[in-house]
Amino acid sequence: MAGKTFLVDTTKCTACRGCQVACKQWNKNPGTKTIQRGTHQNPEDLCFSTFKLVRFSEMEEKGKINWYFFADQCRHCIEPPCMYTAQGLGYKSIIRDEKTGAVLFDPKVKVKAADFKTIKDSCPWNIPRRDEKTEGIAKCTMCIDRIREGLLPACVKACPTGTMNFGDRDKILDMAQKSLKELKAVYPKAKLLNAEILRTVFLVVDDPQKYHKFAAVDDPTAITRIAAIKKLIQPFVSLSRFIG
Amino acid sequence: MNVTRRDFMKISGVTVAGATLSQLGFDLTPVHAYATELRIKGAKETTTVCCYCSVGCGQIVHTSGGKIINIEGDPDQPTSEGALCTKGAGAFELVTHPQRLTKVMYRAPRSTKWEAKSWDWALDQIAKKIKKNRDKSFTEKNAKGEVVNRCNGIAAIGSCHINNEEGWLYQKFLRSLGLVYIEMEARL
Repeated sequence: MAGKTFLVDTTKCTACRGCQVACKQWNKNPGTKTIQRGTHQNPEDLCFSTFKLVRFSEMEEKGKINWYFFADQCRHCIEPPCMYTAQGLGYKSIIRDEKTGAVLFDPKVKVKAADFKTIKDSCPWNIPRRDEKTEGIAKCTMCIDRIREGLLPACVKACPTGTMNFGDRDKILDMAQKSLKELKAVYPKAKLLNAEILRTVFLVVDDPQKYHKFAAVDDPTAITRIAAIKKLIQPFVSLSRFIG
Repeated sequence: MNVTRRDFMKISGVTVAGATLSQLGFDLTPVHAYATELRIKGAKETTTVCCYCSVGCGQIVHTSGGKIINIEGDPDQPTSEGALCTKGAGAFELVTHPQRLTKVMYRAPRSTKWEAKSWDWALDQIAKKIKKNRDKSFTEKNAKGEVVNRCNGIAAIGSCHINNEEGWLYQKFLRSLGLVYIEMEARL
């Protein structure tokens, strides 16, 4: 399959948050007002102006402290449920770039609060965010303006450790399989998260739930099925708006 | 909604037509949101070194019309190969941040307030203090009566970001004052 893909090798991440800042900087997103919550994860969550966030998950197991880092961002699904849901609701503001496969939101288009909830709930990775003031919705853009010119996305460009990787899908998947094989020898739980349906592939060495609540879905076929159904019924839904 | 058999035929007919259209590649979606050109296209690129830690990662500063429009990693730099950490990645804000210091800030001894001062005032202050302390602590001869010309009252801490030539000048300046406590350290 053509297009582009990210590989996020969490074993290499030191949680420096270079990707997070580079993302803010390139996308000209303003800072978020935050408070001390007793964690290094800052800001607390993704928002309309935070597309990339390094999640810190700290837990004690068998008297040992484990610290998981998860550089969360949009997965750019190959069959994006958010796009089909939005289309079903009559919005044309979520599109998929044909060449790269990037899933793009138009942040200038207003989305009703209830519709946004449906769109957000359709995303298994809890990514879309809405600005209450402008009523627009936004998320990671895969730095579409950069990658169209052959540059790397800002987060990948900045990453000092090799956690963030980006390139043609087949090459990145080869790289992912190679890293997975090496890691399996040391970490039997190592796996790629939903690699077959996503363009942002996370490589983890423990239970994905320990990294982040929405790190992975157990049954990826369910997602594609939902997407397929939404795609099928979408013309009826949009028509029913005119007729009903 | 009451759908008669006739209506249903109409709807499905339109739907099929719609589906066929989209399958043929008629994409009527407005793509304007991301149709913008790369904003650093054609910008002047100047290389520099990140001002923070001792790693000294390379950066490219993009300028257009004399204004800095972007700062990102320099892939040609052998130490960092284009990578930057949080601080380096946020370097653009050194220029643009509204809370950036643009004046010399001075806090007098035992004062609890900062005052804004001019550069001329600050440089004069520094010169006065160097003169005062050098005069006070200057050792012309040691205990054995040998000429040493030392200034023991001042220590210097340099930066790791100055290059060979700047380092040579800095060293020359400090030695001419008679300083012997000279350090170069970045992680401060």
